[in-house]
This record gives sequence, structure tokens and C-alpha cells, in this order.
Amino acid sequence: MRFDTVIIGGGLAGLVAGISLQQAGRSTAIVSTGQNALHFFSGSFESMLEAPERLTALFAGAGIRVHYNPGFRLTPLGTFREAALSLEDISLFPEAKFADKALIACVPGYLDYFSAFLAEGLEKQGIQCRLCSLDLPEELQDGSVERRSVQLARLVDRDWKKIVQQIRLMIKDEDAVVLPQLCGLQDASVPEHLRQEIPARVVFAGTMPPSIPGIRTQRLLKRRYEVLGGTYLSGDEALEAQVEGNRIMSVRTRNLDVHALEASHFILASGSFFSKGLRSNPFRVWEPVFGADVSYAEDRNAWYNPEFAGDQPYMQFGVKTDAALHALVGGSPRENLYVIGSVLGGTRPEFGSGAGLAIRSAFAAVDQILESL
Amino acid sequence: MRDCAMRGLRVLLIERADIATGASGRNHGLLHSGARYAVNDPESAAECIVENKILRRIAAHCIEPTNGLFISLPEDDLSYQNTFVEACHKAGIGAEVLDPKEALRLEPSVNPELIGAVRVPDASVDPFRLCASNMLDAKLRGAQVRLRTEVTGFIREGDTIRGVHTRSVQTGRTADYYAPVVVNACGVWGQEVAQMAGVQVGMFPSKGALLIFAHRVNNMVINRCRKPSNADILVPGDTVCIIGTTSTRIPLENCHRVSVTPDEVTLLVTEGAKLTPALSETRILRAFAGVRPLVSDDNDPTGRNISRGIVCLDHETRDGLKGFVTITGGKLTTYRQMAEKATDVVCHKLGVNKVCETAITPLPGSEGRSYEELAREIWEAPSTAQKAATARLGSVVSEMPKRSRQDEALVCECEEVPVWEVNNAFERMGVSSLTDLRRRTRVGMGTCQGEFCACRAAGLLAKAQDCAERERADLLKFMGERWKGNFPIGWGESLREAEYTQWVYKHVLGL
Repeated sequence: MRFDTVIIGGGLAGLVAGISLQQAGRSTAIVSTGQNALHFFSGSFESMLEAPERLTALFAGAGIRVHYNPGFRLTPLGTFREAALSLEDISLFPEAKFADKALIACVPGYLDYFSAFLAEGLEKQGIQCRLCSLDLPEELQDGSVERRSVQLARLVDRDWKKIVQQIRLMIKDEDAVVLPQLCGLQDASVPEHLRQEIPARVVFAGTMPPSIPGIRTQRLLKRRYEVLGGTYLSGDEALEAQVEGNRIMSVRTRNLDVHALEASHFILASGSFFSKGLRSNPFRVWEPVFGADVSYAEDRNAWYNPEFAGDQPYMQFGVKTDAALHALVGGSPRENLYVIGSVLGGTRPEFGSGAGLAIRSAFAAVDQILESL
Repeated sequence: MRDCAMRGLRVLLIERADIATGASGRNHGLLHSGARYAVNDPESAAECIVENKILRRIAAHCIEPTNGLFISLPEDDLSYQNTFVEACHKAGIGAEVLDPKEALRLEPSVNPELIGAVRVPDASVDPFRLCASNMLDAKLRGAQVRLRTEVTGFIREGDTIRGVHTRSVQTGRTADYYAPVVVNACGVWGQEVAQMAGVQVGMFPSKGALLIFAHRVNNMVINRCRKPSNADILVPGDTVCIIGTTSTRIPLENCHRVSVTPDEVTLLVTEGAKLTPALSETRILRAFAGVRPLVSDDNDPTGRNISRGIVCLDHETRDGLKGFVTITGGKLTTYRQMAEKATDVVCHKLGVNKVCETAITPLPGSEGRSYEELAREIWEAPSTAQKAATARLGSVVSEMPKRSRQDEALVCECEEVPVWEVNNAFERMGVSSLTDLRRRTRVGMGTCQGEFCACRAAGLLAKAQDCAERERADLLKFMGERWKGNFPIGWGESLREAEYTQWVYKHVLGL
């Protein structure tokens, strides 16, 4: 199977690169093991302080609306974090006191949403809070059914009108309603419906992963990629590369067995340790597909900060690249292999971190591929 | 405290931190048969087997009667096995020589290269559950408990101790308590406390490092049949197993903050894999260390040869100081007998002649029936989570208020802890932080190391205490404490989990 570009990794970086290349008329394939960092996406693009037209257009094409509003977002534990660019259903506030009075709705027995912390956090900003409970649909009354975000979101998407009715009955003089971020999984328009039908400012507060806006974003980006003709190989894993000189010729995957994926360009977007883009044992850290050089500390004692809250050195470990994002292997660049996203770790600080790193490095790699023939 | 309360004394327990924070909670969770000490320390071996039999009755819900193997490997001297078995029999410990093939059949995880095996009545014990049950029972019998309260000095009149000055660690509030007898049961910290009272007790703090594996690879306790050495005991407990230990003398002032070094981790994994080869492939959950309260008696640099026997000092006869008793040495397995000896001295001083009944009175939760029977009495078809909770709480479970369906939701999926069990711990077991909760319910001890359950439990605790701000700080502290045991083994799957935890807590939750 031959493509123009083969991308290892189907997270934010891999999908942004894949969609951009497909739009430019290139044929691409994405090899994805399954879940990725989008499944615990906060909904705000960390380290993106601007709103590049190129990104908003790409997202709009996928049916994902984002908004740019430098300020703060509300975290699930009731604190506020700086953010500028978010998915549309993640509220951004110029200042943390976003209302005078808030009604905080919680779901009885759902433990992954922290109403007590939210109330305390908002009260600290001078927002008077009142808690109320939403009645659950019949099928979730049984305690033996675990209540997790995805399950609840399916029901909210179906029964959102009942939620609106309940809130309308409970609301008094509050000018804001805080709801758990449990809607818009299947139907992306539900958050907007809730906003329009509830007579107060609706603020969605995040829950424990899996993240509903994150899963939705992943699904819409993947669908857009496939609509543009991309080949998304889900549940497959890149195993090893065939190399000639300084060029990657093909990549073998677990499912395709002997049918290697051949391409002119390869993009490594395999994520960091969690996504297995980087692997480790007590003695070393390595990149498993191409054997690319990894920047890490030789002494394992220097991998960690004993303080949980401190910055962790191992999270800076990443694949080494030249200025043009070509992966280095044994010190020399592979001329058709580009490295993007969190597998870079902290080796390219100019691209930022988190979502910012994924998006900026993806565009940078795409530009180089499009410049070459 | 329980023994004193059972003999009708009015008793107050003062604890600087929480129950089971010292050596009581930082060990293998091994209910010794005594076999390990039979050759070198017959006195404590005999103490162990007596207590082993008693605890199987009175603390059944804290104990899994797994039995243990003492295996000889090709590099071990098989003739030691005879010495060992003889010594066991002399101490009253049932020790049965098995054919290596039979041992492999009974315990398939054991190193298949073994050349000899002896079966002994070792067992696995949950030290947290054991301590919590003792506290619960003592309170039911009228004892009082002051957790997170430290002794700052003694009230002394001439040659008599009259009471203690204390200060609350949380609020800083001070209080004086008066009693005709004060018992120093402070383990390795007993030296400092005795010093405050003006007498000398020489402790020999010996650090032991241990590793917890994410799976329970063995069903029987596996020991090496040789002179006690490093990393030669593997104990199954609940869903995990624990390998240990090392033995290193450390300065007394370091006992508060013991940690495990990468070298110790390497040693434990290498030696552990000799007992059970699967360990080299098994994910490690965390590393931890405890400090044995050995009593100094010679210059043994490792402390391996110091007796694990019980030391009970009446300072009136020893030092001429009235009203002060020290109980130290010993082991988790002999805790009950330590309490009995100390209480005997106290009762003698007070002229009380009621005999000890702790050996025949079951702890709350251990009255007879198996956890499966108990669970079936409450639920028609108990789920694994309901059985797990019943196993932790024992017969106490039937006294719980009626549970709603929402109360059955799981807080901790790894250890299957439901909301009602967490709430019970808040209401009845003196929980004021997530770490306290962990010791009573196992929340945060499982595979995810608190990643998912810690904030769920924090949400409940914030509501129960009506103080989210303090709980936010507590959550951060709890995750810090989990991390302390995770980073020494931070590679492979553990590092993946650690990275995920960092993302979730810092970026998603915004802690």
C-alpha cells in the first residue's frame, strides 16, 4: 500500500496533519492504536495564546466550533486557569467572577463531578452558590450500574429537554447555571440547545476523564479526515520501519502484517509515555518504531521531581530533531521522517506544550512536506 | 488500649498521626508462623506461633490463611532444611517437608528450579484493618482516642509520672491528661518519648524497604529456606503481593522520612525473581519503607540478629520512675501479646486483678461467619464489590444503616470500595484526611494509585466535612504521598500511569 504520507498516531497532532495534507490533495494514512490524549482534553488549547485562522478554519471544516477569548476557564475543582482558545462549549471568562449567583446542578451518585469544590471555588470569587440535584433517567437509578461520563452523556443527549425543564423549575434569581460537561457526545448541538433554553448563563464544568468534548473532537476530526479521503487505521500499531540510507521506505504494522505501508514522507505523532510513543525501563528511554534518538537523563534519579506538584523532568524527555523537525537516528537526520506533538516532549520549547505543541508542530511538518515534491 | 478497656480501665490513646502510620502499617502484612525465626531466635518464634493461632480466631476477617512455603534453591544449602524443620518443631510450629513437585503444584508461581520446600502455617494479614478493628472495639468499650495529637512532655512529681502534656497537630491546641500510669508504645520513637520522661530506652532503628506488585502472583507466602536475608519473603495480600525486605540501620532522626533508593529497588526485584520468576515481568505498584523498632543489645550493624522478642519495661523497678511503662520490640504478629504484657504490668500497678481476655474475644467483624455468608445475608446476590467490602468490614457490615442504590456506586474501582463504606469510615472511624481513609478502606491502594478514586473520595470528604478548601489541600497532599512511593519504580507501565496522573490532576482538574 503506497501513500504520499504515513502518519503514526491518531491524536490531535496526527489528525491536524492528516486533514491538512488531505486538503492539499495528498494521500495519507494514519495508524492509531486507539485512545489518545484527546480523551482527557480539557477543551481548552493549552499554550495557544493566539487563534490562527488556519486552525479555526480546519476545525470549522470538521464541524468543531472554537472561540477565542483570552481570560480564564473554570476547572473541575473550582479553580481558574488561564486560557485563550477553547472549544465553543468551554466557557472563557475575562475575569473569574462571571456571575453574581450561580446554581450548581449535580447528578446524584455521580462521583466524577465535584460540586462541593466548584461551590467553594466560585464563592471565593464572590459568586453566591446554591446546589441542586438533577433527577436521573430510570436506567441510571440502579446503583450497580457505574455512572461514568460517557454513559451519562448518552442519556443527556437524548433527554436534554428534561434537564432544561428541571433547571427551569429550580432556578430562582441566579444569573448562571453550572452543569456537568456531559452533553454533546453524539449530537454536537446539545450544548447549544441547553444554552438557548435555560434562562441564565450556562457554564459547563469538566468531569473526570473520559472527556466528552475531547471524545467529540476526536470523532469529528477523524470523520473529517475520512471524508477528505484519508485512511484511518484504527486499533493498529506501527511496529518497525524499513530504512534505506537516510530515508524511511515503509512501516510495518501489527494488523497489516507483511503488507507494509510505503510512503514518501512519514510523520511520527505517537505521543509520549502514556500513548507509548516513548517507552522506558529502569535504564533507558527509547522510541520504539524508528529507534529515533531520545533526549533523556542517563541517571534515573534525575527523571523525577519528588514533589508531585513540581515539574517532572521525565515529561521533558522527547525525540531529538533537527531544525526542520526531522527525527535524528544515531545523530543524523532521517530526511523524510518528521516528529510532531508530545513525542517531542520538551525538546522543542518554541512550539509550546500540550495542544499548542501538537498543532504548531503539525503545521510546521505539513508545510515542509507540501514544499517538497 | 483494647486490653485495658476490656479489663475495665479508663483508657486514653494518644497518637501523633493516625493509626498504623508507623511500623504497624509499614510491613509485609505477614502473619508469621514463627518459622523465619525458629533457628536464630527461638524465643520470638514461639511467641509468633502462639499468637498466629490466636489471631486466626479473634481477627479472622483481617487474615487470609494462605500458609507459607520455605523453598531451597540450587544455590542454597539443602542441609539447612533439616536444621530448620527441627527448630520449627521445637518451637511448636507445624512444618511439613514437601516434594518440590508437590510444592509447585500447590503454588504454581514458585521458582520451578526449587530443590526443597517446607510448608508452614504463615498467613497474610491486613494490618490497617487489624488496627482499625482494635480501635473500634476499644471505643465501643469506652476507651477514648486522640488522633493527630502529640505528647510534648510529661507531668512529673518527684519520682512519679502523673500525666502528659499534649498538643493537637491540626489546631495547635494544648491539653494535659492525668493518669496513674502512662504506657509508652511508640515503637521506634519510644526512645524519644522515654527521654522526655527522663529514662533511657535504646532503640535500634532498622529500615526495611519493600515493593508492592500490581498483581497477586502467589497464593501462599513464599520464603527462602536459609538464614534470614534481604528480599526473601513474598506475601500475597488482597489483590497485590509484597516483596521485602532490606535491613539497614538508620539514624533515629531520619525515621520520619524513610524512602527507597533505586539500588534497593534493583535488589528487591532481583532477589524477588528468585522466589517467583514472574516478578521480573510483573508491574510494580509502589515502593515503601518502614522502620523496625528493634531494641539495641549489641553492635550488629544490620540488626538482622537482634531478637524480635517482646520487651516490656516497668520503669519503676528498672529506673525508679513510678507510673511509666514501655512496651517495645516485638512484631505485628505478636502485637496482642505485647498489649497483654503491658496491660498486666498496668493492672498490677493499679491493683486490678482481672485477667486478659483479648485472646478469646473476637474483634468486631470477626464473629464467626465467613464474609461470603455475611454478604449473602444482606444482598441476595452480592456483587464482587459487595463481597470485597464485607471482607474488609467483617460482621460490622450487618450493623450498617440501610444503603440506597446511590450508596452502592464505586469510589475506588481497583479495590472496589463503595460510597457507603467510605461514608461509614467518615462517620465511625475517625477519618479526617484521604490518607486516613486509605488506611481504613484501601481507597487509593490499587492499580491506579489514587488517580481516579482520590478526587472522588475528596469530593465526598469535602461534603462530609463541609470544607472544600481544606480538602483541596488534602487531595494534593495525598497525591504527593502516593507519588513518593511511585517514583522510585517509575518506568514502563508505572511511568505511563504517572504521566497520565500528572495530566489529569494538573491540566484537567487544575489542582
